[in-house]
Amino acid sequence: MSLSVTATVVGLGWLVLILGSLVFEGVSGVSLAVFTEMTPPPGADGGLLNPIVGSLMLTVLAVLIGTPIGIMAGTYMAEYGKYATLTVVVRFINDILLSAPSIVVGLFVYEILVAPLGHFSGWAGGVALALIVIPVVLRTTEDMLSLVPKELRESATALGLPLARVIRHVSYRAARAGIITGVLLAIARISGETAPLLFTALNNQFFSTNLNAPISSLPVVIFQFALSPYADWQKLAWIGALIITFAVLALSITARALSASGKSS
Amino acid sequence: MNSIASITNMAQPPMTTLAGRSSDKTGKPAEKILIRNLDFYYGDNRALKSVNVPLYDRRVSAFIGPSGCGKSTLLRVLNRIYSLYPHQRAEGEVLLDNGNILDPGQDLNLLRARIGMVFQKPTPFPMSIYENIAFGVRLFERLARAEIDARVESALRRAAIWDEVKDKLEANGLSLSGGQQQRLCIAGTVALRPEVILLDEPCSALDPISTAKIEELIDELKDDYTIVIVTHNMQQAARVSDYTAFMYLGELVEFDTTGKMFTTPGDRRTQDYITGRFG
Repeated sequence: MSLSVTATVVGLGWLVLILGSLVFEGVSGVSLAVFTEMTPPPGADGGLLNPIVGSLMLTVLAVLIGTPIGIMAGTYMAEYGKYATLTVVVRFINDILLSAPSIVVGLFVYEILVAPLGHFSGWAGGVALALIVIPVVLRTTEDMLSLVPKELRESATALGLPLARVIRHVSYRAARAGIITGVLLAIARISGETAPLLFTALNNQFFSTNLNAPISSLPVVIFQFALSPYADWQKLAWIGALIITFAVLALSITARALSASGKSS
Repeated sequence: MNSIASITNMAQPPMTTLAGRSSDKTGKPAEKILIRNLDFYYGDNRALKSVNVPLYDRRVSAFIGPSGCGKSTLLRVLNRIYSLYPHQRAEGEVLLDNGNILDPGQDLNLLRARIGMVFQKPTPFPMSIYENIAFGVRLFERLARAEIDARVESALRRAAIWDEVKDKLEANGLSLSGGQQQRLCIAGTVALRPEVILLDEPCSALDPISTAKIEELIDELKDDYTIVIVTHNMQQAARVSDYTAFMYLGELVEFDTTGKMFTTPGDRRTQDYITGRFG
């Protein structure tokens, strides 16, 4: 008992320290300029506009690519191919993908989308992040659909509904909160990913919304600025880290609230 | 102690109505469903053994028997709901108006629209009360909004729940009580205008008042529908059914009019079960 309490306190203590230092270092620098100005050269004033926009674009792209694939594959596994061998195989591979180091994903996308085309691009970054989104969404979709009571599915089927309608009108409705939670958690997961972007989207000092060109993103900027010797860059890295942390925190809270409301209804 | 007599006494009021009904009808009612040599397998496990039984048009047939005797399995064959699961298969013939529903070419969705089913656990869909009824209807018929409204209302009236929900049709179906949810499910089934309604222990999760309401409802519905009910509750079988079948270990032991089954059963096992000697 006392051991586990100690372990909990030690574990949580570090978390509090991390959050505390983040707030302490970052919050003083948060201003409107952070959201409206671009990353500056060393010594000049500036903000984080381009990496914020870049991160948003990459995240949206990854979700647009990854969510449909994840949901559809999860639907196949929970509804159509529940007893199929393919399902077992996909589940096994998906579990591996789920815990694969993200740098491997980055290298893979580099090999297929960056090296052959000869340049880094936002598309490649989005695809790399999508590859991280897919296993998370797939897993939650399958789990949440499997939690839908089979009686509900049977009674919809007993009304004469074809399976596709049963899934669309009944299973998805019953599992909606859970599936959305999965997507939100996937977003939370990718919003801090740096490794897959280093090899794909790279970075861009300038404001760019062109997905064919390298694009800036918060994690990569934090990585770069934090390693730099310039105090103002380091400050911006702290601010960027603070923004990501709170965005992820907000997503997690939303996900929690959603799954709680899904359970009670 | 004579338990047969006590059960018969309990079942007295409906039995008289039953007697009244059958006396003014001449001859046997038509066979809506005829089950012939039906075997059912869960994988290698044979759950039904050469079952033969007719189900009469616009009558209530009850299936009783101890747990695991195959009565629910039999019900699940009638609308082919078992086809959802691989490794479950039926052999033999189930003739619905002379067409074999076990035919591989059978359109299952059409079959299920003709043979509705209500389950043991109330299963309202995660949508409004109105939608619970309307969405099944829209699937099979293209109707104007007003017609759907009318259909929803008549189904809810038919299921004796209209007065309780008419002011909150937009409320979630899950917000109703268990008994109301079950009647909502019956309404959803009735709205599709099936020919046969299967009830799989529809009252086992309900309190006595809700149970009484559902039984009343069954009594009204049998004017228009062929009803097949599986129940653990012998008094319920005696109260609501015209015919009763006793099943034991996957076999259909005996099938006769409810009056005969509960007073002078032909088989020793039926008598033992009805008098509570096993089960």
